[in-house]
Amino acid sequence: MASLFPIFLVLAITLGLMSASFLFVRKGPNQAVIRTSLMLTFAVCYLTWMVTYLAQLHPLMVPTFSAPPAHTA
Amino acid sequence: MSDDYPSLLRSERMSLVQLFVPTEVAHDTVHELGELGDVQFKDLNPSVNPFQRSFVGEIRRIDDMSRRTRFFDAQIEKEKDVVPVRPLYECAPLLTVGPRSAQTVDELDTTLSQYESKLTTLNESYQTLSERTRELTEARHVLRETAVFFDKAHTQTSNIRSSFDDSATPLLTSHDDREGGYSAGSFDLEFVAGTIERSRVPTFERVLWRVLRGNLYMNHTDIAEPFIDPSTNAETRKNVFIIFAHGDVVLAKIRKVAESMGATIFPIDANADKRADALREVENRLEDLQTVLYNTGIGRRAELVKIGESLRVWQDVVKKEKLIYETLNLFNYDVRRKTLIAEAWVPTRDLTKIQLALRHATEESGTSVPPILHELQTSKTPPTFHRTNKFTEGFQAIMDSYGISAYQEINPGLFAITTFPFLFAVMFGDIGHGFIILIAAVYMILREKAMAKQDNGEIIGQFFYGRYIILMMGLFSIYTGFLYNDLFSKTLHLFHSGWTFPDNSTRGVYTGHTYPFGLDPAWHGATNALVFTNSYKMKMSIVLGVIHMTFALCLQVPNHFRFKRKSDIYTNFIPQMLFLQSIFGYLVLCILYKWSVDWTKSPVSPPSLLNMLITMFLEPGKVDPEKQLYPGQGFVQTVLLGIAGVCVPWLLISKPYLAWREMHKTTGAGYVTLGNGEETAIARHSTDETLEGEEEGNGRAIAEGDEEHEGHDFGDVVIHQIIHTIEFCLGCISHTASYLRLWALSLAHAQLSEVLWSMTLDGRTDPKSIGGWIGLGIMGFMWLNLTIGILCLMEGLSAFLHALRLHWVEGNSKHFEGGGYPFAPLSFAGEGSKEA
Repeated sequence: MASLFPIFLVLAITLGLMSASFLFVRKGPNQAVIRTSLMLTFAVCYLTWMVTYLAQLHPLMVPTFSAPPAHTA
Repeated sequence: MSDDYPSLLRSERMSLVQLFVPTEVAHDTVHELGELGDVQFKDLNPSVNPFQRSFVGEIRRIDDMSRRTRFFDAQIEKEKDVVPVRPLYECAPLLTVGPRSAQTVDELDTTLSQYESKLTTLNESYQTLSERTRELTEARHVLRETAVFFDKAHTQTSNIRSSFDDSATPLLTSHDDREGGYSAGSFDLEFVAGTIERSRVPTFERVLWRVLRGNLYMNHTDIAEPFIDPSTNAETRKNVFIIFAHGDVVLAKIRKVAESMGATIFPIDANADKRADALREVENRLEDLQTVLYNTGIGRRAELVKIGESLRVWQDVVKKEKLIYETLNLFNYDVRRKTLIAEAWVPTRDLTKIQLALRHATEESGTSVPPILHELQTSKTPPTFHRTNKFTEGFQAIMDSYGISAYQEINPGLFAITTFPFLFAVMFGDIGHGFIILIAAVYMILREKAMAKQDNGEIIGQFFYGRYIILMMGLFSIYTGFLYNDLFSKTLHLFHSGWTFPDNSTRGVYTGHTYPFGLDPAWHGATNALVFTNSYKMKMSIVLGVIHMTFALCLQVPNHFRFKRKSDIYTNFIPQMLFLQSIFGYLVLCILYKWSVDWTKSPVSPPSLLNMLITMFLEPGKVDPEKQLYPGQGFVQTVLLGIAGVCVPWLLISKPYLAWREMHKTTGAGYVTLGNGEETAIARHSTDETLEGEEEGNGRAIAEGDEEHEGHDFGDVVIHQIIHTIEFCLGCISHTASYLRLWALSLAHAQLSEVLWSMTLDGRTDPKSIGGWIGLGIMGFMWLNLTIGILCLMEGLSAFLHALRLHWVEGNSKHFEGGGYPFAPLSFAGEGSKEA
């Protein structure tokens, strides 16, 4: 059943991944780059997924076709 | 972030150092530092004419040497198929440091000038020989053709004259007593023979006719083969002519006219035997010349091959020496102490490395006097140095194109590594196209080493430079492709759709199960698919845009802390943030909230967010209960509007007010400022004392020349703040709307992809005949080419540009200060692409 729960679940997972990348990237000349890139990647991937999921949660319009579509659900 | 390692977050800390270099080690020291590529020297003689600097003589000599290497390069270029040039990494190296270096360079100078003179002589003799060959060939033609004339004339005159079969018989004569062995000059009917350019022949005839009033007989034939000028490779076609006339005056006129028209006159004997002899002689001479010419050519080629073996190493040495002496010219020369004093910017982190390099240089040169390095305190702005590797340099370069970051400010390039490919991907989202650019990038990366060595040309070179950017763009595009559910305009059915079509209806029914990842495939092919996706993509653009701008705004804060202007957080950052969030942050929250509400179960029909925003401004506080998004909306919106309204004067006035208070405090305390605030008085470090203590000689390092003042004029602050306020407030609205390009480009991309499919492969994927298969082949080929050319390349470049614009304008305007100058160290490797 469509609910908001997955959004918060995946948010928690994303925050967990971001913290892990902050804490566990080892020291070295590229630490800043790797950390920033990983954290930002997780964040933006979550954002776009979340927006896509949210947009289809309670849709305000239904797909209409000119002829009955032949496809498997 | 730890301090042990350099971070791309800010530019590196730089130190101004002073180098005291004894003259004996100077050359080798600069050589070592040039190989290191970490030191940017300052010009300590800015007022000195380049022709008056200390090392002008050496530079002149090196320029001569480089001119010679360029000459060799040009000569080899003409024969590059036959003469191989050994590449630099295969050449035997020339040692230009150490105790024998001066000797090596002198030897190189002599070698180069010797080769040059040899080559020039060879070239000249080749030229002369070719000229002679040409002349002799012309002479041969003239001899042959005139033989034909004389024979023809002879057969004609034998009809006129009754006697003599002697071939020495003159053509026409009024004197019967002349016989045998006459030279041309003693004949009554003399002639002039020679060659002239074919194009000039008609003019020649006309001029002669007019000048001599028709008292001549002229004959001419074409020479079949054209003559090729060896130096210009131009072809000229010539004709042989022979003119018969009588009388010295007439002949002199003919000769003059011929010379003025550029004809070459050859002395031809009327006597056939003599002509035959002359012909034989010419042929022999020609043969000899050909042999000599051939040998000269071989000799020249051998010289060039020898040169080709070492040319690259010579060019390298000459180039490095030039750089070294130009750098030495920047130093200050202390005559009494025989030392050179240099000032340079060096990353503080690398000071030990530089010390080691200096010691190494001393050992190499064999002297015992090391150069001394000494750090200086200064208030001058150091150059901005971002230490990049092959992955980050592309991203840093595209952000640097907007402007070099100020010294030690937050570097937008670090975040662009992720946000740039991401924003690109939002506009480019297609699994297939993302995959294509991904494999292109992977190919370039796997062949990195080979491609870096060769000259790829401008366009491919640009793509190669950005290969890691393209790699990231490809990866993110595949991700957004999955979200948009678009694979070459087809959809994937990875999960169960959230829509069913019971009883073959044309309208979908929502099952309540949301498609878990990406856009539901049920929308593919629906007549109202675009209405839904447009709404989704536009709202997503606004959400992503506001979040990006908020993020960029927050980057201001570390800058305020680093540059010790904590008050700016309260005068700039907070009002800006509140303004942005109270209007557009609120809009984003409303978007997300409206999506999260099940409107089928709500008594209110879903309100239009656009109208809501407009009425928020036009009629604050009044919200129609039939159209409200949530209860209490009117009150909340009034509060938010109030906050935004307060932020504008807050942003406008508070910083100038603080500056005005400061000004009054300092003038009140009796300080006489030089038009500056208190801050610069503290920031200035006097270094003259430190320097005077060190120097005793004539040399004086000009470390403290002009001061750097920031005009903390009160008027400046006011004006700056007014501009800043207007720019920010108007910018908020226009930039938010600007993010809609994320929607626009992804729509265009999806539509283009669909149109391409429907125009090429649609309906042909199931061929039922040979014709069908051929059609599939042709259309498939077209589809592939247009996909790569239009959808990947053209759309890719377009999305690249727009993503870059979003970073430069919408992103950077929220925090970027700029105004720095890049760190440009003396580096031999860096100058590799420049010619000697």
